[in-house]
Amino acid sequence: MNTFTIIKSDYLQRTRSYTFLVTLCISLAVAYTFIPEPNATYSTIRISNYVGVYNSAWIAYVTAIMASIFLSLVGFYLVNGSIKTDIQTKAGQIVASTPISNFRYLFSKVLSNFLVLLTIVLIIFSMSILLFFLYNEGFTFELLQFIKPYFFITIPAMFFIATLAVIFEVFFGKYSVIQNVGFFFLFFTLMVLPATTETQFLLDVFGSEIITHQMENQVKEILQSNESIGLNIGYVIGNEKEIKRFNFEGVNFPTSFLLSRIGWILLCIISIVIISPFFHRFNVKEKMSSKKSTQNVSISKTNNEVVLSALPKAQINYGIFSLLKTELLLLFRKGKKWLWIINLIGMGLLVVLPLEIADQIVLPVLWFLQVNRLSELTTKEVTNNVHYFAFTSYKPLSRLLVSQVLAGIILMLFLVFPLLIRLLFIANFTAVFSVVSGGVFITLLASTLGIVTKGKKLFEVLFFMIAYANINGAKLLDYFGGLTHNANYILKLTGFILLLIIITFLKRKIDLKKN
Amino acid sequence: MKLEIQNVSKRYNKNKYGLKDFSITIEKGILGLLGPNGAGKSTLLKMIATVSKPTDGIILLNKNNIVKDANYMRKQLGFLPQDFGVYPNLNAFEFLEYMAAMKGVGGKNLKPRITQLLEGLNLIEAANKPIGSYSGGMKQRIGIAQALLNNPKIIIFDEPTVGLDPEERVRFRNLISDLASDCIVILSSHIVSDIDTIADEVAIMKNGSLITKGDPENIVKKVEGKVFETTIEKEKLSTFKSGHIVISTKRKQGKLQVRYISKNPIEDSILQEANLEDAYLYLTKTN
Ligand SMILES: Nc1ncnc2c1ncn2[C@@H]1O[C@H](COP(=O)(O)OP(=O)(O)OP(=O)(O)O)[C@@H](O)[C@H]1O
Ligand SMILES: [Mg+2]
Repeated sequence: MNTFTIIKSDYLQRTRSYTFLVTLCISLAVAYTFIPEPNATYSTIRISNYVGVYNSAWIAYVTAIMASIFLSLVGFYLVNGSIKTDIQTKAGQIVASTPISNFRYLFSKVLSNFLVLLTIVLIIFSMSILLFFLYNEGFTFELLQFIKPYFFITIPAMFFIATLAVIFEVFFGKYSVIQNVGFFFLFFTLMVLPATTETQFLLDVFGSEIITHQMENQVKEILQSNESIGLNIGYVIGNEKEIKRFNFEGVNFPTSFLLSRIGWILLCIISIVIISPFFHRFNVKEKMSSKKSTQNVSISKTNNEVVLSALPKAQINYGIFSLLKTELLLLFRKGKKWLWIINLIGMGLLVVLPLEIADQIVLPVLWFLQVNRLSELTTKEVTNNVHYFAFTSYKPLSRLLVSQVLAGIILMLFLVFPLLIRLLFIANFTAVFSVVSGGVFITLLASTLGIVTKGKKLFEVLFFMIAYANINGAKLLDYFGGLTHNANYILKLTGFILLLIIITFLKRKIDLKKN
Repeated sequence: MKLEIQNVSKRYNKNKYGLKDFSITIEKGILGLLGPNGAGKSTLLKMIATVSKPTDGIILLNKNNIVKDANYMRKQLGFLPQDFGVYPNLNAFEFLEYMAAMKGVGGKNLKPRITQLLEGLNLIEAANKPIGSYSGGMKQRIGIAQALLNNPKIIIFDEPTVGLDPEERVRFRNLISDLASDCIVILSSHIVSDIDTIADEVAIMKNGSLITKGDPENIVKKVEGKVFETTIEKEKLSTFKSGHIVISTKRKQGKLQVRYISKNPIEDSILQEANLEDAYLYLTKTN
């Protein structure tokens, strides 16, 4: 098999799915929001109260930066797990028996990750051109201005993410939680590192700093000020002062910066070379089984003849208690046992830390740690190929689906139990209600997205962004009432919960009917 | 017990049919469903098991239309899909209890029933280990146990003996032979020897259509007097094949011993006693 064929089939396998189609549609919608409509109430990149006129350069650079940051954030979650898929589908065992080298296999995974991300970049790129003509402010269309930032900023960043996903999988393959949470912190660190000098620009792998720095300088010149002025990236809601416009004409990237992009790409390739020897090459079953003692599982033959008609007959029992019990067991056993220690520490922190920190920081992190448990809630039948049983069970909606959702809610509430007790103690019933609704909401979000997208990625990505926003104190995504809200808030949250319940049950009902 | 399948078609896409205008009536006893890969066996069984719905036609169980009222079938069904999975973190007991709950059965008899099923399928010693650590054949037997949890009246096994060693095959055969008295049991396979000793009736299908159905002896009669054995040179095999239906070949002292079906045998051929395998190959190759 030559490398190109591997990459091609890998890429096709991953993009020819309903989930990917949903992902592309969402990317298209998100890209649309990158450039706010002229009288929108939010902004994406704003320097003090200045934004650029909508010429080619501004639209291209802004969408390229947003794509670079946004896709780095969620792209990791979209593409990681490609080796795991090979383990699950057993295709890996075939790969392992071919002469392909570890490096070639891993590198082809990097490239197919990269291609998947590039496909999304292409969607965003096309949308940016569309936006230019949509908001036509009378500037000429310059294709080169559009290509430049994507080529120098977004594409190298995507290559970095594609590589990082593979590296994380090689080292933490069995621990999805470490992959998810580890990246969360890595990204956080990379984002807050300041960059104002030329050397620091070279080290900025997302490549956005050099551009925003120049935008900042331009505004400083207009304002004739030397102090540092506020620069906002991301969705900033509410433009309090009137927006002024300035003319941004793009960046002349210094050669050193261009070289640094090549350097990053080389660094990525070199790291794959270095980690290749550590790759398990699908020899995973044996490692696992030594712990789970398969040696005891081979059994001696006995000669019990059982006459089926003489077996005790099971009675009818349409209750959902035993379903719920097993669903809880499945949630509990998901992942490594020792990771429960982290959960327990989190629960301990909920007891000892000041109430505010417990509610605003520990709770969202503790819940986010369950991301792999929640995302599986309604997708595990299909991924484990148990759906033939599950979907032909007796009343799969009102029994199985209900017990799945309930199990998720019970897990979430169990984890924040200490906090709930504390809040009850000080008679803050609004907060208790908010936290409970938060647990219900996030569980339902997981089951709805699982059922609608038929995959777990979208929920994982979204939950990650929400948790990121929570830690940064964003009010809009505070689903568990950690910050103070007006009375409308509870009403809205309840509305959302009802909506999710309706969507979950309707969509599953349609799916069950369709076959 | 009567299962009637009337003019059922399953269309996967524009010009791809998994099953085409298929009709069959099945009454109590064991029916063996034979057919080459892609014949439509799984397609048919999945529709009977209410996993998927026919594009056309109706399926009646005791005069109840199960396409509309799937729960009527599900309440009395045991189904072993061809490619099923398990939750690897559960042990056999937990998984079977879960399956029972899904089927809506329970009560104090459930535990002893599971224990005895696991004994009958020779899994009791491994019952407390996570299923993820089971061998392929052991997993298959969990699937068989699962299908028998709720005293089913209609039992569908899609390729049940895949992955079972000879001893376990015998065990499986003994286990289900006892079911036939008041149940419908349908077994699919493309291995004739798995079916011919236990099936009361055999149905042979190909390309989404039924070729024949009847008791094994009657089907064998279709090729009686047509099965021969002869010895030919190796090089002549391909020309021989174009004129006759070759069932099997065996190397013998540099030459080939050929078992074949023909109305006009070549010289030096010896008439053989026909068996179900001959009939199966004859019917699937000529239709
Ligand atoms: N989901 C599907 N989409 C499209 N075509 C399908 C699908 N499932 C089955 N088919 C087609 O329908 C036909 C019958 O398939 P089916 O699985 O029923 O065969 P089978 O008799 O069970 O074969 P085997 O012995 O290999 O299990 C095949 O040609 C197959 O390609
Ligand atoms: Mg089949």
